[in-house]
Amino acid sequence: MKSRHDTLGTAALLLLILIAWEVAGQLRLVADGTLPALSAILTRLFAERSDYWPHILATLETSGLGFIIGNLIAVAAALVFCLWPIGERLLRGVNIAAFAVPPIAIVPVLVIALDGDVARITLAALLVYFPTMTATLAGLREVDPRSLDLVSAYGGGKLKALLLVRLRAAVPAIMSGFQVAAPAAVLGAILAEFGSGARWGLGTFLLGSLGRGEPDRLWGIGLAATAIAGVGYGLAALAAQWTTGRNRAVTIAPPPSESTSPQVERWRRSLLTLIAVLLPFLFWQMLLLAGDLSPIIAKTPLGVLDYLFFSNASPSAQSRLLQALSETIPITIGGMFIGLAVAFLLALLSFATPVVMRALLPFALVTQTMPLVALTPLAVLIFGRGITVTLVITISVTFFAAFVLLAQGFALIPRPAFDLVDAYGASTLQKLRLIAIPASRKWLFVAARLAMPKALLGVMIAEWLATGKGLGNLLNQSRGYLDYGMIWTVAVVSVLVAIALYQLTYTAERLTER
Amino acid sequence: MAFHSNRRRFIKIAGTGAAVAMLPGLTGRTAAATPLTMQAAWINDAEFAGYFAAIDEGHYKAAGLDLTYLSGGPDVIPESSIIAGKADLALTTPDTTIKAIVDQGAPFKIIGAQYQKNPIGVVSLAKAPINTPEELKGKTLAVPPVNVISVEAMLAINGIERSDVNIVPYAYDPTPLIKGEIDASLDFTTNVPYSIEQQGEKATSFLLYDFGYKTYNDTVVVTEETLASKRSELVAWLRASRKGWDANFADPLAYPPKFADSWFKGTGRTIENEIFFNQAQMPLMTHSGGIFAMDDEGIQANIDTLGRIGIKASRDMFDTSLLAEI
Repeated sequence: MKSRHDTLGTAALLLLILIAWEVAGQLRLVADGTLPALSAILTRLFAERSDYWPHILATLETSGLGFIIGNLIAVAAALVFCLWPIGERLLRGVNIAAFAVPPIAIVPVLVIALDGDVARITLAALLVYFPTMTATLAGLREVDPRSLDLVSAYGGGKLKALLLVRLRAAVPAIMSGFQVAAPAAVLGAILAEFGSGARWGLGTFLLGSLGRGEPDRLWGIGLAATAIAGVGYGLAALAAQWTTGRNRAVTIAPPPSESTSPQVERWRRSLLTLIAVLLPFLFWQMLLLAGDLSPIIAKTPLGVLDYLFFSNASPSAQSRLLQALSETIPITIGGMFIGLAVAFLLALLSFATPVVMRALLPFALVTQTMPLVALTPLAVLIFGRGITVTLVITISVTFFAAFVLLAQGFALIPRPAFDLVDAYGASTLQKLRLIAIPASRKWLFVAARLAMPKALLGVMIAEWLATGKGLGNLLNQSRGYLDYGMIWTVAVVSVLVAIALYQLTYTAERLTER
Repeated sequence: MAFHSNRRRFIKIAGTGAAVAMLPGLTGRTAAATPLTMQAAWINDAEFAGYFAAIDEGHYKAAGLDLTYLSGGPDVIPESSIIAGKADLALTTPDTTIKAIVDQGAPFKIIGAQYQKNPIGVVSLAKAPINTPEELKGKTLAVPPVNVISVEAMLAINGIERSDVNIVPYAYDPTPLIKGEIDASLDFTTNVPYSIEQQGEKATSFLLYDFGYKTYNDTVVVTEETLASKRSELVAWLRASRKGWDANFADPLAYPPKFADSWFKGTGRTIENEIFFNQAQMPLMTHSGGIFAMDDEGIQANIDTLGRIGIKASRDMFDTSLLAEI
């Protein structure tokens, strides 16, 4: 329970951070003034408010529609998966692909295949789908069995149980999914604005402003984007409070686990897995058929294989791809580990002193929506263009989800465990060492799975904007050369890499269990 | 597949309608204009002032065109829009267009050139000036990934080893240059020096064009299919656009302020910046044959330049017959 004392402490710390920001800005302490004072950012934002409105409204519209559509599909999918678990198995490949795909890899294809706003809404919806779907499904499945017994005792079937008991019980989980989805929707809309030549939108405003070399404008746009996400986040939190009378902490459901499926015979299981693997490719093929695109742009699964192995361009394509992968993969794994370590330390810190966590949360939210394009010049000025900058950017996109998850894991440790060591006079540090750290092992692996695809995204963004190496650079360059064979290849390979790294964490988890 | 054939049929019917509308005598001035869509190469700025002028002055409408203008941006590849059928014509960089023709078999034709001299150049600070390719040795140059081949070509033409220059990605933000994190950047010389001066520094620059990289820019590109089916509309577009550009250059200070509340509203840039741009681009666009002109010498220079980076351009990729009809 939050005490009055804690609230005051949080407010004081928040104030302290804001003052430190202001001072650093006024004295031009960070990278020779590239981090402007908060007052300078806000003054400029206010002076230019009439310029902002059309852009804010445009981004609000596309991200809002994407948020609604993505969430509707996510909740509907979770309901179907709950009633019909085979459905989840069949769509697992599609779900993991939706989760693992780096948005920047599909933007070029999306903006060509779809018209204007539709592309922006689609990307926002796609980024929203996975967090809400998994949170909802977890909520639907975690119900008090006695309530289910009651429904069946009165002759209610599975559907009745779903509507009367499960859906009601899942509301807090659904709302927590919405909270994670809100910044994702804004980021999706803005990323697609970059690629689609939209006339209005915060992403467009950012592009026009980049060339002016005025950091206070860039930060103003970042704050406006964060505000939109914050409103979505806040509304979801309020809704959770109304519907349940209590506000649950932000939760991120772990990605689908391997063991939740019902026991089925071996051959059936293999068949299901095969279909699950094939379905994403089938969807891909069907989308292209419906899109009626030129074969230069639209590469089918077989078209990509042909490009990579059987065409005149294959030898060059293969060597460029391998070179890029050798640059990208090691730093992705390294970035994931460091991001996880940062998240773990932050979670420990917030466990030991909850005041700190509540004060840091708004800043953590900023890192989730502040378009990296605006932050990269700052990062480059501070950290240069080497491995450090890549790691910093990767950590900044990785740690949030992992942090929320680990903090949640710590919070779930049964209190009596602490009471025992308390009775022996243990210090906070000892409590962490003896109980919290061992108990969070499971959560660390879940966090690693969540962090992996994000780490890949972070590395690709850094490569694209700062270092000029690896998959991110290859993607950007191929786009300029209209090398759609390579664009599709990078999109597919980056999903496959993300999935492979994701599966690797399962193997690692199983190994440590022994 | 049903969708596909429907769309084809629709296009056919629409085409027939357009043909009827073109018949003299059958229609008056009230006839519906023919739709035509253009894909620009960048966000709305002075680079496209002539088209905005032509739209606002009604030149396209008078020529029977109902023009839709699509803005571009750093991540918009204009050629993609015409392959995808979203636009009828696009303003492109000739090196990517010709590379796509050669490597991908893209069915493109270049029917005009907005810039006779490509405005991209190497921009540096006056206090640490880089005025020739030679002076780039040992320096860090930020280049948009798409333009890396152009820079490599310019270095090769001037006998400089690629490894002597540290090329890093450029995200169109002058801050790293102003702060000294990089020594130079590759950008439009018509634009970025202004932003640098706004930040209290002086800029200096040289054009790649002046050091042997002789290409056009904002080449007007269409697909062969569009060229065959919409030839008269394309000629009308060239004519109306030229009128817009001529009006704009009659007084380069006049038009940018007129667009402050329309085309240039909320782009994040200033009208003073657009005026600077508009004045700076005038000498790069003017040609005795009129705006968009492509003479034999210019075309040959493009072919030769691209040949030096292994892009095999040929004369038949350029179609000057529409310009002749203006």
